[in-house]
Amino acid sequence: MFATFRLSMTWLHTWFGLVLGYVLVVVFFFGSLSVFDREIDRWALPETRFEAQPMPSFDEVLAPVFRELEPHPDDMAATARRVIGPLPDPGTLELASLYAYTTHRDPVLLVGGEFGIPNKPKDASDEHQHVHGWATIDPRTGTPLPVDRLKIGSDFFYPMHYSLHLHAWNDVGYWIVGFAALVMLAALVSGVVVHRKLFRELFTFRPRKQPQRRLLDLHNLTGVVALPFHFFFALTGLIIFAAIYLPVSDKLLKPLHDAHERLESTQTGLPLEPAGQPAAMASVDAMVAEAQRRWAERGMAGEVGLLFADHLGDTNGYVSIYRAGTDRVSLTGEGIHFRASTGEVIRVEPPAGVVAGINDFLTGLHLQHFRHWLLRWLYFLGGMAGCVCIATGFLFFVEKRKQQHAREGRSGARWVDALAVAAVTGTLIATAAILVANRLLPEDLPARGTWEERVFWLAWLGALLHAAWRSAPVLQARRSAAWAEQCLAVSVLAVVAVLLNWITTGDHLWHTLTTGYWPVAGVDLTLLAAAAIAAMTARRLWSTTPTWEPAHA
Amino acid sequence: MPDALFYVLVVVLVVLGLASFALAMERHWRQLRPGSPIARPTTLVLRAIGATALAASLALCLWLDHGTIASLVWVMALVPAALAVTFTFSWRPQWFAPLLWWTGTRP
Amino acid sequence: MSTPSPTAPQIVSRVLASVLGGYGFVWGFAAFGTALLVAGGMEYHEAWTLVMLLAFLLFLGLFCWAFAASSLARVWTVLAGGGGAMTLGAWLLTRHLVS
Repeated sequence: MFATFRLSMTWLHTWFGLVLGYVLVVVFFFGSLSVFDREIDRWALPETRFEAQPMPSFDEVLAPVFRELEPHPDDMAATARRVIGPLPDPGTLELASLYAYTTHRDPVLLVGGEFGIPNKPKDASDEHQHVHGWATIDPRTGTPLPVDRLKIGSDFFYPMHYSLHLHAWNDVGYWIVGFAALVMLAALVSGVVVHRKLFRELFTFRPRKQPQRRLLDLHNLTGVVALPFHFFFALTGLIIFAAIYLPVSDKLLKPLHDAHERLESTQTGLPLEPAGQPAAMASVDAMVAEAQRRWAERGMAGEVGLLFADHLGDTNGYVSIYRAGTDRVSLTGEGIHFRASTGEVIRVEPPAGVVAGINDFLTGLHLQHFRHWLLRWLYFLGGMAGCVCIATGFLFFVEKRKQQHAREGRSGARWVDALAVAAVTGTLIATAAILVANRLLPEDLPARGTWEERVFWLAWLGALLHAAWRSAPVLQARRSAAWAEQCLAVSVLAVVAVLLNWITTGDHLWHTLTTGYWPVAGVDLTLLAAAAIAAMTARRLWSTTPTWEPAHA
Repeated sequence: MPDALFYVLVVVLVVLGLASFALAMERHWRQLRPGSPIARPTTLVLRAIGATALAASLALCLWLDHGTIASLVWVMALVPAALAVTFTFSWRPQWFAPLLWWTGTRP
Repeated sequence: MSTPSPTAPQIVSRVLASVLGGYGFVWGFAAFGTALLVAGGMEYHEAWTLVMLLAFLLFLGLFCWAFAASSLARVWTVLAGGGGAMTLGAWLLTRHLVS
């Protein structure tokens, strides 16, 4: 189909890069914000603006929380669709397993569990005979956060970057992101193949040249200097969700997988099923103390990151305690498993083998549980470089074709440009809008979180419509007015968000900087920096008359 | 926070290292020495200086942090450093003139 | 052999080959690779993890090859044929191992 290898790679890079680029810029942008997801949560939920807390005492604080925990209404609704007959009253359901999860950046604690249900599934192969419940609690007191508060960072921006919040058609959003990640890898490889002067132009950016030249320079620059970063994030993203993308263990290899699970259960001493004999839980605090003692003994002293208990109230019950991964890249966990009824150690996870070690390292690279603020900001910068790479890709595509399309009366360049505006500045507008809505909506509004999400989607849609409307100049090979106008909107919204934080919470920048409350100060500062860049860009766009107007305009 | 200063030093060393590698290239050398083409020994020395600066920055990273984190910090530090070097060559190439103090001849 | 601009059917076929054909081959690789390693004595999760670490790099290679290869027929034969053969192999091997 193509005369040379280089031509085939050029085609691949151009067309797959263009189409999936719209998805990728969203994934990269929200992925970058996710580096600071918990800090954004602090900004959005002022009641959680206190210091990060370690895992609290299970016996004193968490046990009562789990006694009160009920199935979440959302999951009750979802499960009702999967099973035969009506579900029992949620208040009567018993917890079968539970978990508690925290990291070194969390003031609040995530808890949850599975409740057993007697109903049979509609689909015989469906093995999930449970309803889920979850809550976010203040670990100092055990009080839960109101259910309709949205953690804009960890529950909105973060899932956006791996699922696009598209759960229709069997979570098609995950598949779109996965395909985009594969295309990212192909775009990087093909980009290197196509970029003839990769080393000679490594430090080349010629701002005074024609737009096509400087756009391509910037595209190459941001792609190459962060090439390992871009490559590894796309690859590790795929590896992390490998069970979703290549579910061989659930399908073709299921008999083999299940046989192994049964074998492994006998080898590890961790039962797969409850025995049916009741037994009370021993002191979990004592188990935690023992786990921490053993970690310290191995030179790996640390805090508890994840606490998990299965087969609650049964003689087969066990408690698994995992270490928070703050001091290294690999997510090793160092799990220690205890018999729930006696507190004795059943199993200590052995050091990871070569394969598991590589997987733990790659996963840890992406999920970044480490405590290292410089490295987090460098990750954020890498992600922003990726966004600039993709955005300049769009701009270059349009620049290269708009003269020709104008002459031929084609609108391709116009629509590519309009979609690019929506994907780039539109995304920024929607992001700023949800933060503004977060501060403006009444505190006691029911389903407040859902309303915040609606504002986000509406703002994005508005940006798309505005972009489409204002992109007509591209048909005459001129610049769409939408770019400058949306930059101005971003700037205004970002400043408004910072001001609203001050007005509604009193935690203005001077206060957060002087008291050293970095999560909120960081978000405010980043919003102001974004506002400044957007404003300067809008000014530049409005003041520069294009020097590449066709002579016969 | 003394550690913060050391991280600044890491970035400075990486910038100097990458700038040296850049100056060893004909096109960037020409920005500071428009008249004279780059001599082969100069290229080698500049690259040696660059490699030394990068190695020193990596060593400093390894001293500051645990092994895998340190390597990751260093690889990621290349990103802002490379961007800074590039933009400096785009707008203020003369800022790198001191790196060539030992070459003597002026245009 | 110099070729004119690619036609729409050619493009569609290449895209389907790279995406669906590539996925089919990688699926077969994942299933057969895991089963084969388990048959060779490796523990299941370790085998699965190793295969997953390789699978996406393989997909990347196949994806690019589907566009770079001169013969589309060869691309489809390798991807569909290889994927199918490995899937069958995985199924047979699983039955053998579990019995």
